[in-house]
Amino acid sequence: MEVKTIPLPVQAPAATCYHCGNSCEQEPILLADKPFCCEGCKTVYQILHEHDLCTYYDLSAHPGITLRARKDDSAFAYLDNPEIAAQLISFQDETLTRVTFFLPAMHCASCIWLLENLYRLHPAVTQSRVDFLKKEISLTFRHQALSLRGLVNLLATLGYEPEIHLRDLHHAAGKRQDRSFYYKLGVAGFCFGNIMLLSFPEYLGLEKGSEGGFQQFFGYLNILLALPVFLYSASEFFRSAWSGLTHRMLNIDVPISLGILVLFGRSTWEILAGTGPGFMDSLAALVFFLLAGRWFQHKTFDSLSFDRDYTAYFPIAATLIQDSEEKSVPVTSLQAGDTIRIRHQELIPADGILLSGQAAIDYSFVTGEAVPVAKFSGDLLYAGGRQTGASIEMTLTREVSQSYLTQLWNHDAFQKDHRQHWIELTDRLSQRFTVVILGVALVSGLYWLMQGSVSLAAHVSTSVLIVACPCALALIVPITLGSILRHLGHHRLFLKNTGVIEQLAEITHIVFDKTGTLTYKDSSQEVIMVGQPTEDARRLGASLARQSSHPVSRAVASRLGWAGPAAVIEHFEEVAGQGVRAWADGHEISLGRADFAGASLMQEEGPGRGYTWLVIEGETVAGFALPARYRPGLRGLLARLQTAFSLSLLSGDHDRERAALEAFFPADTPMLFNQQPDDKLAYIASLQASGARVLMVGDGLNDAGALRAAQVGVAVSEQVDTFSPACDAILDASQLPRLDQLIRLAQQGMWLVRGGLLISLSYNLVGLSFAVRGLLSPVIAAILMPLSSATVLIWGLAGTWIAARYLRQETPESSL
Amino acid sequence: MSAIFVLIIISLIVAAGFLTAFFWAVGNGQYEDDYSPAVRMLWESAPAAPRQTPEAPRPADTDVSK
Amino acid sequence: MTLEPLTLNSPGTAAPQVDRFRYDNAIVRNFAIASVAWGLAGMLVGLIAALEMVMPSLFLWDGIPFLSFGRIRPLHTNAVIFAFVGNGIFMGVYYSLQRLVKAPMYSKALSNIHFWGWQLIILSALITLPLGITTSKEYAELEWPIDLAIAVVWVVFGLNMILTIMNRRERHLYVAIWFYIATWVTVAVLHIVNSMALPAGLFKSYSVFAGVQDALVQWWYGHNAVAFFLTTPYLGLMYYFMPKAANRPVFSYRLSIIHFWALIFIYIWAGPHHLLYSALPDWAQSLGTVFSVMLIAPSWGGMLNGLLTLRGAWDKVQSDHVLKFMVVAVTAYGMATFEGPMLSIKSFNAITHFTDWTIAHVHVGALGWNGFLTFGILYWLVPRMWRTEIFSAKLANVHFWLGTLGIIFYALPMYWAGWTQAAMWNEFGEDGRLVYGNFLDTVTQLIPMYWTRALGGTLYLAGVFVMVYNLVKTAYAGKFQAYEEAEAPALAKEEPAHNANGRREYWHRWIERRPLQMLFWSLILILIGGIVEMVPTFMVQSNIPTIASVKPYTPLELQGRDIYTREGCYTCHSQMVRPFRSETERYGEYSKAGEFVYDHPFQWGSKRTGPDLHRLGGKYPDSWHYNHMRDPRSMFEQSLMPSYPWLLKDKLDISTTPAKIRTMQALGVPYPAGYDELANEDLQKQAEKIAAGLRETGVENAVADREIIALIAYLQRLGTDIKAEPTK
Repeated sequence: MEVKTIPLPVQAPAATCYHCGNSCEQEPILLADKPFCCEGCKTVYQILHEHDLCTYYDLSAHPGITLRARKDDSAFAYLDNPEIAAQLISFQDETLTRVTFFLPAMHCASCIWLLENLYRLHPAVTQSRVDFLKKEISLTFRHQALSLRGLVNLLATLGYEPEIHLRDLHHAAGKRQDRSFYYKLGVAGFCFGNIMLLSFPEYLGLEKGSEGGFQQFFGYLNILLALPVFLYSASEFFRSAWSGLTHRMLNIDVPISLGILVLFGRSTWEILAGTGPGFMDSLAALVFFLLAGRWFQHKTFDSLSFDRDYTAYFPIAATLIQDSEEKSVPVTSLQAGDTIRIRHQELIPADGILLSGQAAIDYSFVTGEAVPVAKFSGDLLYAGGRQTGASIEMTLTREVSQSYLTQLWNHDAFQKDHRQHWIELTDRLSQRFTVVILGVALVSGLYWLMQGSVSLAAHVSTSVLIVACPCALALIVPITLGSILRHLGHHRLFLKNTGVIEQLAEITHIVFDKTGTLTYKDSSQEVIMVGQPTEDARRLGASLARQSSHPVSRAVASRLGWAGPAAVIEHFEEVAGQGVRAWADGHEISLGRADFAGASLMQEEGPGRGYTWLVIEGETVAGFALPARYRPGLRGLLARLQTAFSLSLLSGDHDRERAALEAFFPADTPMLFNQQPDDKLAYIASLQASGARVLMVGDGLNDAGALRAAQVGVAVSEQVDTFSPACDAILDASQLPRLDQLIRLAQQGMWLVRGGLLISLSYNLVGLSFAVRGLLSPVIAAILMPLSSATVLIWGLAGTWIAARYLRQETPESSL
Repeated sequence: MSAIFVLIIISLIVAAGFLTAFFWAVGNGQYEDDYSPAVRMLWESAPAAPRQTPEAPRPADTDVSK
Repeated sequence: MTLEPLTLNSPGTAAPQVDRFRYDNAIVRNFAIASVAWGLAGMLVGLIAALEMVMPSLFLWDGIPFLSFGRIRPLHTNAVIFAFVGNGIFMGVYYSLQRLVKAPMYSKALSNIHFWGWQLIILSALITLPLGITTSKEYAELEWPIDLAIAVVWVVFGLNMILTIMNRRERHLYVAIWFYIATWVTVAVLHIVNSMALPAGLFKSYSVFAGVQDALVQWWYGHNAVAFFLTTPYLGLMYYFMPKAANRPVFSYRLSIIHFWALIFIYIWAGPHHLLYSALPDWAQSLGTVFSVMLIAPSWGGMLNGLLTLRGAWDKVQSDHVLKFMVVAVTAYGMATFEGPMLSIKSFNAITHFTDWTIAHVHVGALGWNGFLTFGILYWLVPRMWRTEIFSAKLANVHFWLGTLGIIFYALPMYWAGWTQAAMWNEFGEDGRLVYGNFLDTVTQLIPMYWTRALGGTLYLAGVFVMVYNLVKTAYAGKFQAYEEAEAPALAKEEPAHNANGRREYWHRWIERRPLQMLFWSLILILIGGIVEMVPTFMVQSNIPTIASVKPYTPLELQGRDIYTREGCYTCHSQMVRPFRSETERYGEYSKAGEFVYDHPFQWGSKRTGPDLHRLGGKYPDSWHYNHMRDPRSMFEQSLMPSYPWLLKDKLDISTTPAKIRTMQALGVPYPAGYDELANEDLQKQAEKIAAGLRETGVENAVADREIIALIAYLQRLGTDIKAEPTK
């Protein structure tokens, strides 16, 4: 995969493409004296130009998306399959169809403008609407005039190829998020504000009865306003409290619900009986703050979705070959024994045997090993491999669900999410808390009963329940961890939820994956070249390489850097996944894999795999390889980490890099190579068995299993928003060197939580001291409640802010 | 102070009205995407340059990729 | 790669499926012209008023009824607020709304009714106010027939707007539209409540509320009028025209949404701060203060959002006159919205209230925020609608600097004046007595500042003339395009929200939403029911006097009071002695809520160019008043007060007495049954007595049937009831 998308050297003298802004090849395609890097870009420009949509280029510079990676039209053939289409379409009547696509390429104002002006480009499109944050487009079109496939094609032609995956079928319904929470928050906020307002005279000691019976009037209004809060907004807590009780568990919502009930009951009673103004303000405040706290906690990163599995990457359909007829069918309906065709860049959906065609399978999806592996008819192909080169045919030996990769995904680690049983910190506390409060309420109540005052007894015990209502307690965790979450997000470490922070704070062992995690393909520099080709060799080599559009050939061409007149190329032949050969100025010349080019290994270079060879007249002139480089700041990071954690390294790759790695890691670091995904799983499990709390740092896909198995799985990713594997956290690759700081922040977060808990408890004690003596007045409650919440709030926010401050000044490594 | 009663009630009604409006907005997904509206309003919806006489899509068009 | 879509739709082969429609620019132009024209008029009147204060005896206006300060000051405020700003709002709304919803106005007819209706209302104001036909409620002076007209036209406007929004082709309602809607709803409510009055004739009505309550309602209105007529619509305009002019999206759209809702939910409560230290209950005052202070947050949110929109484009601001105006406007908004809450803080308010500070404050808002934003919009709009370039950017810059200087020359001296005034009012000597016992001393001090203010006003007005010239030339240079072609795809009928999945989901959402809706509709119903039940009872209850000695006005005093309101005395004289030593020392016993129970409408006033009059009764002999009214400068040579010779000439029209008495009775003023018929007898008796008294004290030509007699009767009655016996 990497091979394919290797960007061209930036220092190339070429102009930047008017459409996509990429730097062009040696000779840019010119149109209306505008340079274009490829035919695709040029075509799009032509289309837009013809339909005078060139505003596209005015709104932002080089808004276009390069079309080099564009699949060919047949890739969307499956959309003609009605049963597939039906599952994608969100609404359809006689004439109109509405469908929503995810367009990862959408990135700027120009995109919005063009996509919403599609109707100008195609008469069948009646409406197109973009949700920029979700990178989604919702299209309405007349299906008589334009097929779904045609529509997708149109988008793809413009460079906005929709991402359609297997999971889109299952998840079609589940996209809309439930907003009732926001309603609840809104109602609470509104009523809170107004109840405060109406209680104002009370705070200012408006003398009873005067001014034409305000108190009465305001009292009634307060009840009126409190009703929605009590019945609707607070239902959150009642529900969860109830489910807690049914599971024999006193979660934090139990005391809260208790408090709310008492608050409402007693206030209503007081107001109706005219004995007092009630605590409605406290009630509303309580509910509002709590909901606000939850909102803070629930806040997640919309653009990232964490709950992906293989269906998020697998194709929706495959091309089935039946009696020499091609038709596309849903992969789910594939049977063992079916013959299917796999085209360039298509994923193998299920295990099978190669029938015909030159297979060069890129297994990076499974193993992380970048370089495609050549396969020959009769070889076994595993699901998850990606064909590069011409299309191949294969017979399936297993169904999709039975295949190696899917089996892996169906491994236990994915089945039961061990965090289910993990109870939130606050709930653990409230276990004891609730008991104590009930105790106090009961005792104090009894005490006053003994004193012979029933009303006072009721008054006191209710007061206890009111002031003890653990508002601050319930706030501290969501607020603190919530803002930690935000700070981490600020530094490009995106956590799945606040629970992960607590996990992260407790880890003891860190496991690193190599490929794509510690290393990356350095696009900033040219391919490595071994050997010193002569002037003449460079000319021939470059001339040959330019014949091929394969990225490696391109890279090699530019590496050889031959600007002069090209050689005459004859009998050009390209073998997918192998290389190219031809006659250049009458010399037999070939460029490709060792076996293909017939290269005799040169002594300068190390292990021979992954190299592309240039052979002229049977003589090996030069070898080329993509440089795999270690991320900057790695050494420093590992040095800092080893002081606090034990480390280990896993790699799906073979051990040719061991030496280099040992330089980075502390001496005794266990390093395991040639690790299959389930090996990694096993290793993590063994660590955990020995009592370690493991943090797995890997590059999402091929480490998916390990990531899920570990206490915390951090996926390192180059672009966090388009790609997010099954894991607890996603770390922007550029931030890897600060991993230790981020962990530390999580730990500090937990300390802040503990501090906040103390604060809130002390507030409760103060309140209780009033309550048990029957001295709790609405004003005190109305002051105490927000005050405690406010302190906790400030503590949480300010604390995390300070804790996160040092993160803001860049550490030397990460700026490297 | 009777006027205060009136004013408070009226204000409450107005406020409640706005609240319902607010909920409509949220429920309607008005605030789903708070980026594009800001840029969208900058674009004039002036018609595209006049084209030749419009005609229905040619039969050939009707099946794009069959 | 295959490209069927192209072969499919190469240009000319097929037209896109899209609605074509035309934006109506004509209505926008009309409102623009109206705004500018009335603006000139209003500002001119303002300038005259300003000059009258420094040259009261100038033949141009002295002794001319319809030019006397008390009558043209309401004219100035109404013209500027409802004619200049009002038409400005409609101009902006009609332009932006059509484009934001991608649909023409729902009905051209409604648009035109709205336009002409509004102009007629302004015209009638232009006629009635100088004639002294006024309710004397600030910013709501127009009498009931015009009030009705306003209500009707406002509904027309609302209808047109809402229906347009419903016809929209753009699902999302841009934040500006929210501001427009809020404006419409709230102003409607405010107008109706505050205009509740019983007619006592075609051109006379009495507010249904009395005294303190009337004051409360009035300032609830007064404040929110500022909030929802001068602020929210202009914020909407800012959110549309500023990004347009700068051609860059607003700094933070999310912030603008929060800004809107926060503002809406807080503003509505902030009214009472206008009545600090008045007879309004303490807690209500404090409440007003709290909310006013809370207002800073959303207000500044809006200002910053506006200014930050231009971040990274300040070079543009320097060259682009449109942005210049807008930047100053937004800055002025920021200043005004910061100052407002400050003014609502009791201790600060104690100093500034009733002084020229208030004048400075409102003019920073009016000249800076409303004025400059309107100008900016005009400079952007006119070239666009006339399809040309601005005639002269240089002149626009000239206008900009004239205007800015104008604001500075206006505001600074007024702040200074306010401060001086307050300081002098409150200054005590060692002897424990007021240093400036004679109020006039505190006035003459201010003359220089009033001059500078007049200068500032002149500069500002000159600037506007420059703009008019510039815009007219621009219009002539270009060609006006009454209708602007536009196209947009129709909005899909069945609109499942955001990537919905057909009916199934639709059904879900319906179920999900229902309980909530029921909850709120029921809540609203209950509230409405509440009013229906309570209001009548309040009305009665409210008119029970809390101070036994406070009696209804005699018919003559009542007529005198109406003259007092007619001449707009409240524009310079308060009737509210606040509980400060400096004021009790100067005026006497501080005012009690109970004293105003028969004041329909209240006359507390908001500004003391002259002294407070609540304890005027019995202070001076009738003859003093007689001569003072005829020519104030005959007694105080430096007095700024206009002279009212016509009061001495004109006969009092007593035919209205019975109707007035009846109306008062309807409002619960305890005149004996059938008194309306006897009233005029009492009236004449009292008049004769006063006239006789005058003649004895050397005013030979005093005649009983003149207006001056009634006025003297009223003035001598002011604040005397309470002296009759100690308050309960």
